[in-house]
Amino acid sequence: MRKTLLLLTLGLRLDAAQPPITFENRPMGNLDKPFVLRTYVPDPGIDDAVFSQHDTGHSVAKYNPGIGQDVKGEVQPVDGIAGAVAVNFGPALSYVFDTTECRLLYAWQGGFLDMTPYWGEPGKGSRISFGYVPRLSGTLIWQAEGKHPVEIDGKSISDIGPRVFTGYQLEKGVPVFGYQVGKHQFTFSITPTDEPLTFSASLTSDSTGELAFRGVEGARGKSNISFNITGAELGKYQGYERDNKITKASEQAGEKLFNQYGCAACHTLDGSKSHGPSLGGLAGHPVEIEGLEKPVIADSAYLLESIKSPNAMVVKGYPPNYMPPFGLPDVEYESLVLYIESLAAPE
Amino acid sequence: MNSVSASLRTLTTKNGAIRSFKLTLSAAGFACLTAISTAGIRFDDCYLVEDIKLPAGSPPEVGAIDFAEDGTLFVVLRRGDVFKATPTADPAAFDWQLFATGFHNGCGIDVISPTKIRVTQMAEMTEAEDTDGDGLADRYLRFASGWGLSGNYHETNALTRDGSGGYFLAVGTASHAGPTFKHTLGKFSDAGRRGRNYSSVKWKGWVLHADKDGNVTPWASGFRMHNGIYRDRNGELWAGDNQGDWKETTPLYHIEKGNFYGHPSSLVWDPAFTKSKDPLAYYRDHLDEYNEDRTPAAVEIPHMEMNRSAGEPMEFPDGLPFTGQMILPDNNGERLTRVMLEKVGDTWQGACTHFINGRGLRSGNHRARFTADGKQLYIGQTVRGWGSPAEGLQRVTFLGPEPFDLDRVSIIKDGFKVSFTKPIPEELKDIKKWKISSFTYQPRWTYGSDQEDKKDHKISISSTDEKSVTLKVDALAAGRVYRLDFQKCDSPDGSPLQNDLAFYTVNTVPEK
Repeated sequence: MRKTLLLLTLGLRLDAAQPPITFENRPMGNLDKPFVLRTYVPDPGIDDAVFSQHDTGHSVAKYNPGIGQDVKGEVQPVDGIAGAVAVNFGPALSYVFDTTECRLLYAWQGGFLDMTPYWGEPGKGSRISFGYVPRLSGTLIWQAEGKHPVEIDGKSISDIGPRVFTGYQLEKGVPVFGYQVGKHQFTFSITPTDEPLTFSASLTSDSTGELAFRGVEGARGKSNISFNITGAELGKYQGYERDNKITKASEQAGEKLFNQYGCAACHTLDGSKSHGPSLGGLAGHPVEIEGLEKPVIADSAYLLESIKSPNAMVVKGYPPNYMPPFGLPDVEYESLVLYIESLAAPE
Repeated sequence: MNSVSASLRTLTTKNGAIRSFKLTLSAAGFACLTAISTAGIRFDDCYLVEDIKLPAGSPPEVGAIDFAEDGTLFVVLRRGDVFKATPTADPAAFDWQLFATGFHNGCGIDVISPTKIRVTQMAEMTEAEDTDGDGLADRYLRFASGWGLSGNYHETNALTRDGSGGYFLAVGTASHAGPTFKHTLGKFSDAGRRGRNYSSVKWKGWVLHADKDGNVTPWASGFRMHNGIYRDRNGELWAGDNQGDWKETTPLYHIEKGNFYGHPSSLVWDPAFTKSKDPLAYYRDHLDEYNEDRTPAAVEIPHMEMNRSAGEPMEFPDGLPFTGQMILPDNNGERLTRVMLEKVGDTWQGACTHFINGRGLRSGNHRARFTADGKQLYIGQTVRGWGSPAEGLQRVTFLGPEPFDLDRVSIIKDGFKVSFTKPIPEELKDIKKWKISSFTYQPRWTYGSDQEDKKDHKISISSTDEKSVTLKVDALAAGRVYRLDFQKCDSPDGSPLQNDLAFYTVNTVPEK
């Protein structure tokens, strides 16, 4: 209802296969017009064996761009799926089909994705944190495990050859995914059902062998089979939780916020140049300001104003309008100031 | 008609004098205003910068734009939608319709026909087609793939046609400001993951070639964020890059197969690079060898003075001032750079100056397309992920009159010939009104490089004619960027000079 009202307000066409993407960070489709989105999606803890056509990302030595060398510490890879397509039929069903493994990875109900970490808050448009993968919203009901569930004559297609994604066709708005294994073409699509924790799947192949979907009783036949998959409540997800629960300003909270809001994308801590001024050795030191003859001292008041209203005093050599006003609670601003003040000498 | 009335106001209030004008309406329906002024030709007489209103409620993060042959404009928004509209004279009256959706950060588009497009998104290049004629794409086929995807936000891709039904693709690197995933699409390289901007999975930092059937092969390496690639009318291939690690400033590269353009991380995927398994560390420690191995920029575009971050290069079409010269959008400034290229022997080099600096242009300049009649330049803008929104779609209409501007800087064996678009006043023929200095750039691991070994040059005027000045420059040498400052002045007809600064990158000095 809310979405319909929003669309009417905006004067957008309602006969589209799906409504246009807006600043709404929790987009949803519906039963008639599923929402299809290629995006990074979360990995809710899927069995490693599922990722046989992926490689493994490793932790690497932390790199300090200010000195151009590795330093103590490691950067860990994060959970996420790179080549996914996420589909939503409204609260009834969401699922992720992966174009790399050519299979259904997981399905959930009661919500879709919260894109906030990746798309940013409306009007700001920046990634919110270092780990910006969208968050799940709803109840996870099914997830993949082991080899590819599609079998020909009792053999998983994982053992037949590489699976190669070919694309998808929207049939009445519902995506039908295609992939090849050797010479054979397969298609796969799923839709919601009225039964609890259950969705309906359809599988086709031009192979002459007997087709089956592992783990689902009766899901076998020639060339074209349809079957229901019933899952279980595997976990509940709330989307992106914004509240940092900071009650008292502190340097530690400031450091956390510095990383969470992705400040490092523009501000180094070691005095080296980037899109914005370095924060290392800034506090208490003079700063040249555009339009002012004399430098100003970067005291607490200056730092606070510069974070709250980035255009108030623009440092010479840097463009205005480049840093967004973040609109944070005061306690977060104060924490960031304390953190910057702790960086009196470059890292 | 909003655009026309806005121009009229500008014209009549500018000098406090009444200026005559004529108004014409072209066949395409665009209003064209031609000013005939006794007080010379000003910027506003030549160019009209307008904001194009995008669909209400849609985040205006323009990843890519292209025209169909019938003139329909397609716009890819980075959250996933592709809209189309037939441009109208009123920039606020485009009848946008959703054509396709669901793309992951699409930053390249080729419109095959009004019902079929190809888009480079993060994991692949996809062909989307409306097969049932309802106006919406219903078939999304993989056209090309073969590059990896680490999970990093920075790995966007751009395209240009190859002239034979295929494409050249610019595949950007990852940024240290974002992570990689535990499960990566494509092979993961530990050595490639090192550093500031990195190439942890295949072909990040490369130009790839996709043939007409979508088969992908590597073409050239050493890029950081070549955000836009362009094949010109003569088949020459160009891309800019973003100042940063191993990128001394904003460059414009002439791209040839097999060359290495300076960012080492991409070399982890080059089987011919056998010097080290860690190219980043190797070149950090062997800078002389690095300089021998890399192909320098055709034109170095100073970061602060001209262009902070290159968008998609685009050529001025026939019939406009500066035909054949290049526009390089500034993704991080309210600017479009104009690049004047020339070939000396086998080497491309040339000069840069501002095409438009400010004047109502937004920042985030990212993609560029001319209309088929060559009279309007559309600029798609986005800065998402980098800072505050300066995003959307603008267009520059070429109103007809030619500005008084720097036309071209050409190198001769002992200096430069500097040509202007109109007759120049006597004061420009006075050597005191000119200053030439030079500097070098050394790309290295740092985020950008300073202008080093700065020198002022003794100069003299060796000849002049109605529209040009030929300057003799003492100690003209290859491997340096020359800064040309000259006096801002009016032409004899009262037209103000649009630019007073240019930079010429000397890769080679001609013998004659």
